[in-house]
Amino acid sequence: MRTYEELFIVRPDATEEEVDPVIEQLKGVITNDGGTVDKAEKWGTRKLAYRVAKFAEGQYILLQFAAQPGTVRELERRLRVNDLVVKYLTVRTDEKLKRIEKRRKQREKRAARKPPKPETPAISTPVLPTEPATPVPGSPVEAEQK
Amino acid sequence: MPETRGGRPIAASQRPTGGDKAIATGKKQYFRRKKVCRFCVEKIDDINYKDVKLLTNFISERGKITPRRISGVCTPHQKRLAEAIKQARNIALLPFASAV
Repeated sequence: MRTYEELFIVRPDATEEEVDPVIEQLKGVITNDGGTVDKAEKWGTRKLAYRVAKFAEGQYILLQFAAQPGTVRELERRLRVNDLVVKYLTVRTDEKLKRIEKRRKQREKRAARKPPKPETPAISTPVLPTEPATPVPGSPVEAEQK
Repeated sequence: MPETRGGRPIAASQRPTGGDKAIATGKKQYFRRKKVCRFCVEKIDDINYKDVKLLTNFISERGKITPRRISGVCTPHQKRLAEAIKQARNIALLPFASAV
């Protein structure tokens, strides 16, 4: 079972009633083959970086799921055939998530092993939207406790 | 002649003989400043194609990917960054080429 992420763009003039059945259908394709849908989220209408099928905007929909490789082929076929979908991108994410998890565990182990050493508060880790809230060795919290 | 720094060849722009700052001050100034990889310092593990705000920091006005020697990113992160930018371009989150 591999984890995938599917991001596809639907025409901006498509209504909710047209888009929702499409998403349900895709979810059905995944679950029929024994996969699991982790997340389905709509980003709404966004301006595109370049014209796609003569549209300047599009509705982005993200689908995260775990499935067998064969399922992805069927899923992409459905997306290609559908008139509402103008662009799609399938990304395999299991290796990446494994690596991130490994790094996170390494950091935690390192933080737990070493005694908290005094570190100058000059370099503080900024809060970025993508970074999950993991404890960072030598974070400002320890500096404050000094 | 420091052809290598830490065993690695230095880019032409970072060799001491180049650099207008060195010539302007008249001193024998080596490398302007030590560029560190932003991802290594901030410990960002996930360079995602979906996160356009992070990626736009690494593309030029024309939409081209900034080279490693300018942005100061280390090799493995530059590779992942380039891959993410290309994925973002494919799904119209970033332009392939924008007019300047």
